[in-house]
Amino acid sequence: MSRPIRVAIVDDEPLARLALRTRLAQRAGIELVAEYADGDSAAGGLAAVRPDLVFVDIDMPGKTGLEVLAGLPRAARPMAILLTAHDGFALQAFALAAIDYLLKPVDDERFEEALERARRAFPYRCADVAPPVGPPATEWTRTFTVRIGNRIVLVDAAEVERIEADGDYATLHAQGKTYLVRERLQALALRLDPALFQRVHRSSIVRLDRVVELRSLTNRDALLRLRDGTLLRASRTYMPALTQALAQRQPFIQPNSPSVI
Amino acid sequence: MSRIRLVKEQASPLVPVLAALPVCACMAILGLPALGNSTATAFRALFFAACMIWIVPLALLQRALWRRDVAWLPSALALLAASYAMSVLNALLGQRLEIGLGLADSYHWNELVRGLDGCWLPMIAFCAIHAVAVYYLSLQRAQLRLAQALAHARDAELRALRLQVNPHFLFNSLNAVSALVSAGAGRDANRMLASVADFLRATLAHDGRHEHALAEELALTDAYLDIEKARLGERLQLNMKAGPDLLDAAVPYLVLQPLAENAIRHGIAPLSAPGRLDIRVERAGAGLLIEVVNDGLRPDSATAADGTGNGSGIGLANVAERLRHLYGDAQSIEAGWRADGRFQVRLTLPLRRVAGATAATHRADPVTPAARIAA
Repeated sequence: MSRPIRVAIVDDEPLARLALRTRLAQRAGIELVAEYADGDSAAGGLAAVRPDLVFVDIDMPGKTGLEVLAGLPRAARPMAILLTAHDGFALQAFALAAIDYLLKPVDDERFEEALERARRAFPYRCADVAPPVGPPATEWTRTFTVRIGNRIVLVDAAEVERIEADGDYATLHAQGKTYLVRERLQALALRLDPALFQRVHRSSIVRLDRVVELRSLTNRDALLRLRDGTLLRASRTYMPALTQALAQRQPFIQPNSPSVI
Repeated sequence: MSRIRLVKEQASPLVPVLAALPVCACMAILGLPALGNSTATAFRALFFAACMIWIVPLALLQRALWRRDVAWLPSALALLAASYAMSVLNALLGQRLEIGLGLADSYHWNELVRGLDGCWLPMIAFCAIHAVAVYYLSLQRAQLRLAQALAHARDAELRALRLQVNPHFLFNSLNAVSALVSAGAGRDANRMLASVADFLRATLAHDGRHEHALAEELALTDAYLDIEKARLGERLQLNMKAGPDLLDAAVPYLVLQPLAENAIRHGIAPLSAPGRLDIRVERAGAGLLIEVVNDGLRPDSATAADGTGNGSGIGLANVAERLRHLYGDAQSIEAGWRADGRFQVRLTLPLRRVAGATAATHRADPVTPAARIAA
């Protein structure tokens, strides 16, 4: 990446802006170019400043964050990461092609993940930066290296059913056994083939073919039941990607799969 | 006394009209044979019209008596006297018609009280029907109100029982966050706050009904356990499983979370070694079995065998009370130490689906039309 990502913040609460500013200041390759405290000033400002990425709070006096984005011409619309204290906007957010959708309060892992998404999308969105070359499809992790005492064990990714965050580490669940991997869940998520694995929650990644039941909840999250009966929560911010991935899988797995009871 | 008070409350003007209908019908039918005779028809018509007019003051009088709480005997006497006077006036009108038609040349005062039955009886019948109708309606209304009052009382009791379960955990979590901030573990503090927000969102999404889907309860409990996991770390090991096709089952709101909270507070938190919490939901015949099993230190005293001696009494008693309120004899709850030294709570509920479960799944999940994914 030749130039930094130019970022703007739109939030009516000073402390919320402070939190974002502090977090952004710790990153390389990010340049904070503007802050707006309400929707109306943001609508004019964003059109003039033309940042690459904008963090937008949805609930604001005057124009809402969604209205601000929808008001910008498509070509001038920056990548957007939406923030809200309560839910109900996920579908609209994705209709506006937002990069991500975060619920306040935001934890660091989730924030980093959103920023990482923006970083990955940046080269494609921005004409003056060349997209990275290389075949990404072949780079997905196939085996995990796990240290058990003095031994090093290789766990085949195809055997892993789900991965659970465990502080700065992650626990692999494979065929009834668990393995501790010295890597953050968020870092693992980026190395796994999204056609096979999906992040469903701040603290879990699931192998798609393990999911046998998906029950939507009133708060727009969902509860997943895996083949062995294990229950997993799926956060609403991951739901659009998850339902899409599951829908795409269905034609491939149905013919030779045992029928659901 | 209570009857009269109940009667007083109703004031629909439609009731006397409806009460008059059968009386009118009877009078009309009795008058049919006289149709050929024009004189007889004229008399019948006069009596009919007069009765109709008298019914208005009679109904008003009856209502006035009820409103003043007059006892039934004086009321009946007053009504009889009033309707008798009205009948006499009717007879007078009849004689006036006779004179008008040239059938008589003067009033016959001595015949005035003869043949009053045609008029007095319908009016007595009207009063009786009116009284019965009003009494029946007020009784029905009273029963409805009683049922509503009972439902409200039950509702309030359940609400109170439900609210006891929740708030202290919030302060514990805030305290834990405060500790993390003091220790400079900003990252962990943030993670914990996000988990607390998750749990609050899960509870706030609840619409106040006493039951919700098992999936909602499990998600809510899981959100709560996330917080405990942040607090206890390695010391808490979780295993939450459910059988197939149960996620739509109706369960009481916050039935599982207090059990999980008990298991941690009284079972796993006091342990120095890591403890495991197993939550299992299964179909058991026509019922739903929920099992919560946790490691813990079995107290020495024999009184602990029934599960009340280890401090878990309040939460458990609360859940038991709510189950009893909601399902009566169709539920059961048992708690105690197992032979393997783990504490177990087992509850069975009637297995029912929550109303509108499939509709909710479809609405919230437009991408995959079926909630189930073939495996």
